[in-house]
Amino acid sequence: MTLRDAVAQIKDGDTVAVGGHTLRRHPMAIIHEIIRQGRRNLKLMGWNSGIDMDMLIGAGCVASVETSYIGISAFGLALNFRRAAEGGSLKVIEHSETTGIDMFRATAMGMSFFPTKTPLGSDLMQANEHLAEVICPFTGERYAAVKAARPDVAILHAHTADQYGNVQLDLQRWHDNSVDAILAKAARTVLVTVEQIVSDEEVLRNALLTVLPRTFVTAVIEAPYGAHPTACDHRYDYDLEEVGKYYEASKSGDAFKGYLEERVLGPADHWAYLDAIGLERLMALTRQRVVR
Amino acid sequence: MTTAAYSVEELMACVVSRELRDGELGFIGLGTGGRAFVMAVGIPTVAIRLAQLRGVDFIAQYGVKLEPLIEEAPACFTDADLLDWRCRAMIPVEDALDMFRRGMMDWGFVSGAQIDPYGNLNSVCIGEQKHPKVRLVGAIAQTDHCAHARHTMIILPHDRRAFVERVDFISGLGFGDGPGYRERFQHRGGGPGKVVTTLAVLGFNEKTRRMQVESLHPGVTRGEVERNTGFALAFPDPIPTTPTPTDEEVQLIRTRIDPKGLFLQAKVR
Repeated sequence: MTLRDAVAQIKDGDTVAVGGHTLRRHPMAIIHEIIRQGRRNLKLMGWNSGIDMDMLIGAGCVASVETSYIGISAFGLALNFRRAAEGGSLKVIEHSETTGIDMFRATAMGMSFFPTKTPLGSDLMQANEHLAEVICPFTGERYAAVKAARPDVAILHAHTADQYGNVQLDLQRWHDNSVDAILAKAARTVLVTVEQIVSDEEVLRNALLTVLPRTFVTAVIEAPYGAHPTACDHRYDYDLEEVGKYYEASKSGDAFKGYLEERVLGPADHWAYLDAIGLERLMALTRQRVVR
Repeated sequence: MTTAAYSVEELMACVVSRELRDGELGFIGLGTGGRAFVMAVGIPTVAIRLAQLRGVDFIAQYGVKLEPLIEEAPACFTDADLLDWRCRAMIPVEDALDMFRRGMMDWGFVSGAQIDPYGNLNSVCIGEQKHPKVRLVGAIAQTDHCAHARHTMIILPHDRRAFVERVDFISGLGFGDGPGYRERFQHRGGGPGKVVTTLAVLGFNEKTRRMQVESLHPGVTRGEVERNTGFALAFPDPIPTTPTPTDEEVQLIRTRIDPKGLFLQAKVR
C-alpha cells in the first residue's frame, strides 16, 4: 500500500492517535501526507506531543487536541499550538502524562475506563471531559475514572515490519515510545510507517522484536527517515537545523505557510521530501545504519 | 567552612543534596532546555551525586532510565547518546510512571511557570484555559509528581511573575486552598516539601499550609524576597542564612560531577 492510499483511510473529523514522544519518532511522513490531502477537523490524541501536533495545527487540520504536552523541546513553546489555543479556535483537553496513557491503556485492556488518583484535586478534572470521579467499591477511596479512548486511527513510525504487518522495534530503543504499541491496540485502524520492510525470515528469526503482531495492524508502509526531523532511536538523530527552521517559520502564520509550501505541499510525496532535505544531511544525521 | 566563591546554582544543589536520605528514590524528567533545564534537571542531578558521594544510597530515575552514571553524562542529549549513556535499567515509560502511583517515589523534582502560597503549580496557561492569554506546554508529569511523590522538591528562579497569589490553573496539586484540601482526595503523596529558589529556601507551615521562608541565601535581604514574591510570606525571627557550600562540595562539583557545566550551566546540547 502507498502512503497516499493509507492516509486516504483517514476521514475529516476522525479522532487520530499520534505515536511518538517530544521530539522522538513521530510519524512525520504520515503527517506530511495528511496535510497534502487537506484533512480537516481532526481530533488529535497523544500523551506527550510536539512538532507532530503543532504542524497539523499550523496546517489547519485540527479541531481539538488531547494530550499532556505540546512543545518543541529545548526550542520552547509550540507556536502554532500557542496561536490556535490563544485565539480560541482550538479545543484543548488537558491530561497528565499518565492519564494520557491511561485512556489508551483502558481500551487496550478491554475496559471502559481506567482508575487513577493522579488528577484528583487538580484543575484537570474540570478541563478534561473524559475524567470523572468514582469511588472504589472495596476501600471507599476516591478515584478519577479516565474514559477509554477508541481513536478512529492510530498513526505510528517503527523500525521494521514484514509484508504481513508484524511491526518490530530494534532492541536499542528509547522506552518512552513503549506507548506506541498501547495506542495502536486502542485504535480501529492502525497505520504504521517503517524504516524498512524486511523478509519473513528476518521476523521469524527475531520474533522477540515484534511489538505489534499483525492482528493489530491495518497497513505498513515503507518510509525510510519517516520520522525526520524527529529522532529515530539509535538509527538517526533529530535534525536540529530543520527543527530550528521550523521553529523560526512557526513564529508567524504567513511564514509558516511558506514552510509548508516548501517542505510539505511542494514535494509530491515522501521521496520528494527526502530529496528536498538531501542525502548528505540525512547521512550526517544517521548514527547507525541498520539493514536487515 | 568555605572560602571559595560559589554560584547560586551550586548553592542550590548543595541545599537540595542535604535533604536526600539513604534508600530514597527520586524522579527527574528530561526534555527541557536552558534555564528550565538547570532548575528541573541540573540542580537535582548534581544534588543527587553529591549525596551519593557522601555515602547516601539514593536512586535517581530519569524517566525511563534508572541510575545512569552521572559522571558519564553525554555532552549532547540526542536519543542515540542518551541510549548509550550507561545505566542500570531502562523500563517502559508506563512502568516508570506507575512507580509514582504505587507510592514508591520519595522525591519528585518539579518546576512550573507559576506557584501560589499553597505550593500549587501551573504549567498549562496564563489566563483562562479556554481562551488563555499565554498558552504553555501542558501538565506533563507534574500532576503525577505532585499527587504521588512522598514530597516534592520545587526548584524555581525567584520571580514575582512566578510567585503569584493564585495560579491560573492547578496542574500540580500542592495544598489546594489550605488545610484539609489534599486529605479530602486521600492522595498517597505528602505534597510540597521544600521550595528552593535563587534567593531562599522555603517550606510550608504545618497548620496553615502556607509557604514560609526558612532561610535566605547569603547576601539576600528580606526586602528582596518580598519584592520578588507576589504574596505575603512569613519569615522566622531571626532569619537564618542558608548554609554555604563547603570547599569540598564546590571542588566535587567542579572537578568530578559537572566539570563541563552540562548540568548547572546548561551546556548540554
